[in-house]
Order: sequence, then C-alpha cells, then structure tokens
Amino acid sequence: MKEKLKVAVIVLAAGSGSRFGHATNKVWLPLSGRRIISRSLTNAVKSFPRCRAILVINPLDAALANQVITREASGIKVELVHGGETRHDSEYSALMHLASTIESGEIDVVIIHDGARPLATSKLFYEVALTAHRHGGALPAINVDPLEIDLRQDERIMRVQTPQAFRAKELLEAYRRANSDNFVGTDTSACMERYFPDIDNIAVAGEVHNVKITYPQDLVIAEHVLEMRGYKE
Amino acid sequence: MTAELHCAHCDQETLHTLVYAGRLLVSTTCQTCQTQVKHEPGDLRIQYVKDLENRILTKPGRLWKRFWRSPVAVFWSFPKKTIEQPRKIWDEIKELFK
Repeated sequence: MKEKLKVAVIVLAAGSGSRFGHATNKVWLPLSGRRIISRSLTNAVKSFPRCRAILVINPLDAALANQVITREASGIKVELVHGGETRHDSEYSALMHLASTIESGEIDVVIIHDGARPLATSKLFYEVALTAHRHGGALPAINVDPLEIDLRQDERIMRVQTPQAFRAKELLEAYRRANSDNFVGTDTSACMERYFPDIDNIAVAGEVHNVKITYPQDLVIAEHVLEMRGYKE
Repeated sequence: MTAELHCAHCDQETLHTLVYAGRLLVSTTCQTCQTQVKHEPGDLRIQYVKDLENRILTKPGRLWKRFWRSPVAVFWSFPKKTIEQPRKIWDEIKELFK
C-alpha cells in the first residue's frame, strides 16, 4: 500500500531558446499529440493526488504556459513561478515560493524534475519521494555502459537522472545558505551535499527510457516509447 | 515549428525546423548544417494511419471536454475548424509522401 506523502513537485521549464530569440523552448514541443511539458507534469503528480505542482517557466512563455495547462493539464492545479538565469536560480525561486508551506510542515518532501524528461514514470516519482522521506535524499541512477567510459578509472560511474527528491526543510535551508554564499550547484544534489553532507542521498534504480530530450533523435525515440506504452505515461 | 536542439553533427545547440504530420514527427532539420533526422517513411505512414484512426475515434470526447471548459470559444471556432479539417489532413498526407 502506498504511503501518503506530503509532497511538492517542482518541474523546471525555464530554459529558453534565448540565443536564437524566436526559437521554441524544447519543453513546449509536441510529442505524440501533447506538449513535452504537459506529459512531464502529468506523470509527476499522478502518484500524489494532493501535491503542490510548481512549474518554473521563462516569463516570456507565460501566455503559452497558461494555454497549454488549460488545454492539456486542466485536472492539475499548477502554480507558475518565473525562473532565473540558471537552473540553480530557478530551483531557488520555486523553493522561495514554497517556503512558508515548507516551514509550517505542510510539505515533507520536494521533488525536482527536469521538464524535458517526459518519460519518467509516476512509479519513479513515488519511489524517489518515498526514499527521500525515509533517508533524506534520493536520485535515480542507471549504470553507464562500460564501453562508454574510460576503463582505467577505478570508480563505478552512474548516469544520474531526474526526478530527484529531498526532505523539504533541509532543501530549503541548503538553498538559502547557497544564496547567501553565492554558491551555484550543478544540480540539486550538489547543493544538498555541500550544506548537508551527512544526509544520505540514496540512488534508486533509474529508467532506461527516461531520456532527456536533447538531440532530435530523442524525439523519435520518445515517440516510439510512448507508442509502446500505449500513450499511457 | 522551430526549436533549439543539440545537433550531433555541429556538436552544439542549433536551431532546428520540425515538421509534423498530425501528432507524429516527420523530420527535424538543423538550420546550420541541414542534417535531417527522419522516421523511416513506410513505418511512419503505417503509424499515421493508426494515429489518424485514434484521432477520429477520440475526437468527440476531446471536443466535449473542451466544450465544457470553454463553451463559447468552442461554439464559435467549431464551423471554421470543421471546414479546415479536410485541408489539414490533406496537407499531412502530402508531408508523408514528400
């Protein structure tokens, strides 16, 4: 039986085609009939009927975001937050938006997800949230094919994905401290590890199909995966 | 439609032109080096037929949902969209045979 977790999901979609001015941010591209971002959002909240859903966007995309949410994610109460220059800034903005709710204890776990990963399943979101609730932090990881890496290295290399989940109060505190220290982490776990090194950051089994849409080929692969899943997730 | 994606040939983020037939991606073309990524055409046509069937079967439900969300907008846009539909599908089919 599923544990009832008090969760907030932050989906990052603030990146932009800024270098090209008029280009569409890839998270707003259609993927088998729905926008990438609406698939990411729907999967993110499916396991948590009463969670807070925060979508971090580029302010220039506000009108498009409202239109897409109304049309494709109307069952989800999505709160829009404007992101910053970097991923770290966007995470900080979202956490500040949730600060009072986290401090009052209404949220135990915060999940942070990259909007360009539309194929992460709701099961994976639940697993990272549950693991973070029990241990402090959780991130999905998959083994890297040995052919892809330098075999002279002794360390085992894993490929880390999102969603990543953390206990809400510690995460908020880490980002507040990072802000006052001007520290910018490469990802959420980097910030947590710096300010809360004692908190266990557990790797859960990632999903092979949880690709981040980066290359044009990823869109073709994602279409095939969705077809295989019967367009369910 | 244009979007910024990473081109494996240029090895950097470049502007790409994306062409869709209905809900399916037909091709992406890097605007810098013209590298094109395409579905295998035969495979895509079979998929398109399946997808079109699904679109037709689910249309009443989708339209109904949209109607409940914003009845006035749907009411006023309905005649125009109905007239445009055959042309839209014809354009999609042309795209598949290019």
